[in-house]
Amino acid sequence: MARILVVDDDPDLLELIKLLVEGRREHEAVLCADGEDALTRARRDPPDMAIVDVMMPGMTGYEICRRLREHPETALMPILVLTARGQAVDREAALRAGADEHIPKPVSMATLLDHIDSLLKRRSKENESSVVVIGSLKGGVGVTTLAANLGATMARLGSGEVCLVDLCSSSGHAALQFGCRPEPDWTALLQGETVDLDRVEPLLLQPVPALHVLASPMVPLLEDELSRPATSALLETIRRRFQLVIVDAPSTMNGAASAAMEAANAIWLVVCPDSASIQTTLGTLRALREPSAKITLILNHVTTAHQISTNTVERVLNRRLEGIVPFDPEQAKALGRGTPLAIMSPDSPLPRAVQELARGSLL
Amino acid sequence: MRDRARSGKLAADFFTENYRISGCLDVRSRKLADQLDDRTSSFLCLEDVYVSDAEHPGDIVASHVEAIVRKGRIVAAVVACEEDGLSRKYTYGSYTGSHVQRAFLIVPSFQIRGYLRLPGKGDLRAALAGGDAFVPVIDAEMRLSAQPGIRFAGGIILVNRAQIEALCKEEEPSRG
Repeated sequence: MARILVVDDDPDLLELIKLLVEGRREHEAVLCADGEDALTRARRDPPDMAIVDVMMPGMTGYEICRRLREHPETALMPILVLTARGQAVDREAALRAGADEHIPKPVSMATLLDHIDSLLKRRSKENESSVVVIGSLKGGVGVTTLAANLGATMARLGSGEVCLVDLCSSSGHAALQFGCRPEPDWTALLQGETVDLDRVEPLLLQPVPALHVLASPMVPLLEDELSRPATSALLETIRRRFQLVIVDAPSTMNGAASAAMEAANAIWLVVCPDSASIQTTLGTLRALREPSAKITLILNHVTTAHQISTNTVERVLNRRLEGIVPFDPEQAKALGRGTPLAIMSPDSPLPRAVQELARGSLL
Repeated sequence: MRDRARSGKLAADFFTENYRISGCLDVRSRKLADQLDDRTSSFLCLEDVYVSDAEHPGDIVASHVEAIVRKGRIVAAVVACEEDGLSRKYTYGSYTGSHVQRAFLIVPSFQIRGYLRLPGKGDLRAALAGGDAFVPVIDAEMRLSAQPGIRFAGGIILVNRAQIEALCKEEEPSRG
């Protein structure tokens, strides 16, 4: 059973939707006739999803979507916009405002129910523990920055306990992004047979509430590194304890990287708009054995220098870019301070793009 | 769960040369075309009105509980369902034997494509010389001339006859 917030100024429609979701699915409908009331009730007791009309006196449905997205408690809640403004431009406006779905009126009850079921299914999927691997086989494309900002964003949005695992054996920097000295690190796990929570828990750093970091060694490892079986066991252990596990993958396809990719629900493959990165990504896409649907391709702008256009990147890779992260001039300052932008300045372009990606990846 | 759930109210988009005005109007037993063609009133009364610039039609710039719109300044009205817009006199067999012609219309700021029902052998002049103030274009799409990527689709678009600058036959097999 889910709690569904329904916002519409038409009392007949409110009653109709109440009958639909309570009678046919045994959900609870929370009915609101205006935006202010809806926002107050959503913040007081966050619902599982919202159905929002656009054309209402006082506050438009778009404004309600925007304000729900701004609030940590409702930032990731599925929102369905149901409106008589049913043109393509209206769909774009609704999605831009933060809606997940735009359904034009008139709509049949069966269709509306299908959309509600589908959004709630997504929501319940989000509530399961997830492993997201962020990587690139070319270094210097901003993988660790994206991993740190994703971790900070998800922790800030109250998506449960998050663990960021830095698997780079050649001096990882995930802990440094949070201003933490990477001690202890996972090298302690190289000794001994079993990997369990009793051994892992003491190794975790906690730079901010709800976010833990398993750091990699500051000094590059010359020989030993986490094996494939050890990495599988480690991620399985961490997954049982955390809602979301983010893996900062090494830029080599070693045993640890392969195990992480295998364990992942989603793989964020990061590419920069330069020839070397595109070439590496092309090779990676050919070599990866993971299902294509698992892979999210992200274009990350790490400089302002003149670079290859987005269309060209998509054409060469023969694949749509699911996310574009703009260059953020504040990032250098964030690195210097040891505070990810998602904490220092959550409304700046980079954290906003990461939040958008998180929503799109059903995290 | 039709627009008519609002007790006899119909939601539609009205386009003037520069604005998109979305609103609900009380049609009761009448169709939108009947209201637009009603010569006893030069205005249309709307409720829950949302106004957008035609060039940014997804962005709402103003909203009001009530508004009246001068019919003569409406370039076109877009309605999702053909049956909600088409005049009653056209819905009960009066089109039997009429010619369905794909057409392209130019009106101020917009281009419209869709199907016209023409009497007899499909003389275009019949569409421009008819008695009703608004011409029904069925299964239609309207584009903003300055930004053709901005499109509005409707089961019916009622086009102000006095504002039609050009009306062209299009080379597609007719549906009739």
